[in-house]
Amino acid sequence: MSDAAQSLLCCNGLSVVADGRHLLNDVNLTLQAGQFVALVGKNGAGKTTLLRAALGLAKPAAGRALLSGYDANTLPGRQRAGLVGWLPQNAPVPEPVAALDLVVAGRFRFNESFAASRVAAQDALAQAGAQEFENAAMTRLSGGEQQRVALAALIAQESPLLLLDEPANHLDPAQQIALYRLIGDLWRQGRAILCVTHDLNLLRFARLPNAAQAPLRVVGLQSGRVSFEVDFDAPELAPSLDRLFGVRLREVSVEGGRLLVPEDTR
Amino acid sequence: MKLRVMMLCVVSLAVLALSPWLGGSLKGDLGWQILWQLRVPRVLMAALVGATLSLVGACYQTIFANPLAAPSTVGTTAGATLGALVPLVLGTILGPQMIQSAFGLPVTALAAFAGALAVSLLVAAVAVQGRARVNDVLLAGIAVSLAAGAISAGLQYTADQAALFAAIQWSLGHLPQVGYRGVLMLLPFVLPVWVVLLLQTRALNALLGGEQRAHSQGVDVPRIRALVLGVGALGVAACVAWCGPIAFVGLLVPHLVRLGLGVNRRVLLPMSLVVGAGFLAACDLGARLALPGRELPVGVITAGLGAPALVWLILRGNRS
Repeated sequence: MSDAAQSLLCCNGLSVVADGRHLLNDVNLTLQAGQFVALVGKNGAGKTTLLRAALGLAKPAAGRALLSGYDANTLPGRQRAGLVGWLPQNAPVPEPVAALDLVVAGRFRFNESFAASRVAAQDALAQAGAQEFENAAMTRLSGGEQQRVALAALIAQESPLLLLDEPANHLDPAQQIALYRLIGDLWRQGRAILCVTHDLNLLRFARLPNAAQAPLRVVGLQSGRVSFEVDFDAPELAPSLDRLFGVRLREVSVEGGRLLVPEDTR
Repeated sequence: MKLRVMMLCVVSLAVLALSPWLGGSLKGDLGWQILWQLRVPRVLMAALVGATLSLVGACYQTIFANPLAAPSTVGTTAGATLGALVPLVLGTILGPQMIQSAFGLPVTALAAFAGALAVSLLVAAVAVQGRARVNDVLLAGIAVSLAAGAISAGLQYTADQAALFAAIQWSLGHLPQVGYRGVLMLLPFVLPVWVVLLLQTRALNALLGGEQRAHSQGVDVPRIRALVLGVGALGVAACVAWCGPIAFVGLLVPHLVRLGLGVNRRVLLPMSLVVGAGFLAACDLGARLALPGRELPVGVITAGLGAPALVWLILRGNRS
């Protein structure tokens, strides 16, 4: 089979147009099992649109988004849910749904009894370190706790590709670090992860210290086009980001990696 | 939780079992007949209608992610009123015997059924348009309701006094004396509606996490919305055809149930069914007992209870 069939995600010349404007323009991107891609870009660069296209929520004007070789737009819902899971950005749950019930919803694609779904959901909550919130209403959990439960729902869904849209947004530093550690665990279990983020410095918490590192790439989007795709550890990362965001970033070595710090050029 | 579910079931069943015995005296030769030929079928009717309106209301509130969604806000009841008024008014022009019955059914019921179904399907058609947002659908429902209301008012204006009284009585919502025949004719409509709606519990639960998250979990959101709207409209149309637009039941009962039992649709949907049956039977009992020697339309009781209860719920919700 071709490359496309082996990739969990394969965007081929993907373009999405809305109201005459190109949200995505000829985007090519592939993700294999065990790979982590961080998607960066200015607001409005098309990051979320790319995730939506991979979920079959945005219809391509040209090109295709393939999930394990199947077109994301024509896959039946349950089958698609078996190939890709999604952590939406700022998706508040307005009703006081119990955390367990939200995770059980991740089992929708399985044809199983409620009791079986419940067991799987409890297991997923435990993996996400959120078992203590099982009976808590989502509306009463903090932002970090809510994200943990949402990740548990993704674990329960058992799809090999996870699309995460700014998962650590609005969280306090401790919660951000804990969340990226959890994402790193899911990554090392063999899932492919496509993660939209503005804070690349957090990515090092997804890695294990002093271990052989799995491939971690950074893809930059600019006005709907891929402007660069570089390895996270490559020296080209900082200058690529400079051009993308129009700020000067300085590399600062710290124990177990390096940080990118914006310079004050006033 | 289990205890509360049990208690609500027991209370609902108790209301249903007791309400035929309450009211005017059942002594004498006629007593037995009044009980079995008039009151029992009427309580059964109240149970079926209350259960259906409440379940459909709970489902509508879920698919629209809006606590104000109910059969009345998506145009179902307005369509029924419009449909029912046409023969009521035509009857004064053509003579009542012309429109008395077709296929052995009262024409009013048939016309109300057709009106309710037509309007809800129109709104459902808006809902399945991929790009329509939830609030667009509700706005469409309200717009269609207002238009139907205006036409209804116009029809009433042209009607004579007898037709006008019949129209007012109908549009207040009442439980008619239709005997077991009415119950048997309603059953084949509402039972399948209950089954189909309850089978969507998993998808409806997934929708609580947001429309797009549900999509990513495998729920075909436009399909489920169209299905619930269409099937719900069928059940409501069948009820409204007999009883007129009984206000607030579909809106209030799901809110009451979630207050006590939480938002999980696995509990909320079946319990809305049970509590709705008891609620409307209790309201009908109140309608029979409120004025000695006369009967109020049950819609007056449900609206009289429902409106303040809704305000109380809103205030309570704001506080917590």
